[in-house]
Amino acid sequence: MSPNLSLKIDSDLGSVELVAKAVRALCSDSLGEDALNDVEIGVVEAINNVIKHGYAGQKGSAVEVSVGLRQDRVVIDIVDQAPPMPPDALGAPLYGHAGPSSTEDLPEGGMGLSLIQMTMDEVSYSSEQGSNRLRLTKLIGSE
Amino acid sequence: MLSTETINDVLVVQVTERRLDASKAPAFKTEVAALTEGGVHRLVLDLRKVDFIDSSGLGVIVSCLKRLGPSGNLAIAGANSAVRRLFTLTRMDRVFSIHDTPEAAVENMLA
Repeated sequence: MSPNLSLKIDSDLGSVELVAKAVRALCSDSLGEDALNDVEIGVVEAINNVIKHGYAGQKGSAVEVSVGLRQDRVVIDIVDQAPPMPPDALGAPLYGHAGPSSTEDLPEGGMGLSLIQMTMDEVSYSSEQGSNRLRLTKLIGSE
Repeated sequence: MLSTETINDVLVVQVTERRLDASKAPAFKTEVAALTEGGVHRLVLDLRKVDFIDSSGLGVIVSCLKRLGPSGNLAIAGANSAVRRLFTLTRMDRVFSIHDTPEAAVENMLA
């Protein structure tokens, strides 16, 4: 079995930094600087999304993050017990084909899910018996 | 979390917080709004001390650009590789001009 570490934080945006730093450190032997940047962005956006939207910004619930280091990939699971995301939420692109046309059109939010897709090689989401699992995979040596 | 100086009449705002994430975004937004009151149109945001920005922090930077008005100009200075990556992924590197130092950003703005 490949090594795996689980971390648990409260659903508090102020705690996300702790997980982000831990995940980055755990992956630092497997991934280069660019991939580490991507993983940190993806993981932070994913946990922020759980706290802000899943748990509606309320503290007092758990977010569990497990990191598995395999020979060819890093697998990060983010597990929560919030109401699940809509099934098509993860597929939406950040912009239409042309991108934003004026300063007023630039997004100030709603970029998180797109960033998860852009920073990871594989993203999957499942909900079962009140528990949601977002699985983020970064392939080693794919930069 | 912000300190300011003026270089050649351009307001340079240094972020002294190491992470501009969702937990810090509301305070960041309030401070930026206070600084841009009263007709600031050109601003350089100095990110040399910042390790990491998430989409919430980026959203505040976008809101700051909007506050500078139709002729507003907001340039980024001293972003590290993680921050630059966020700008590239969200295509904000096409919206903001990105420079290595605040001085270079100011020079470019006045050119």
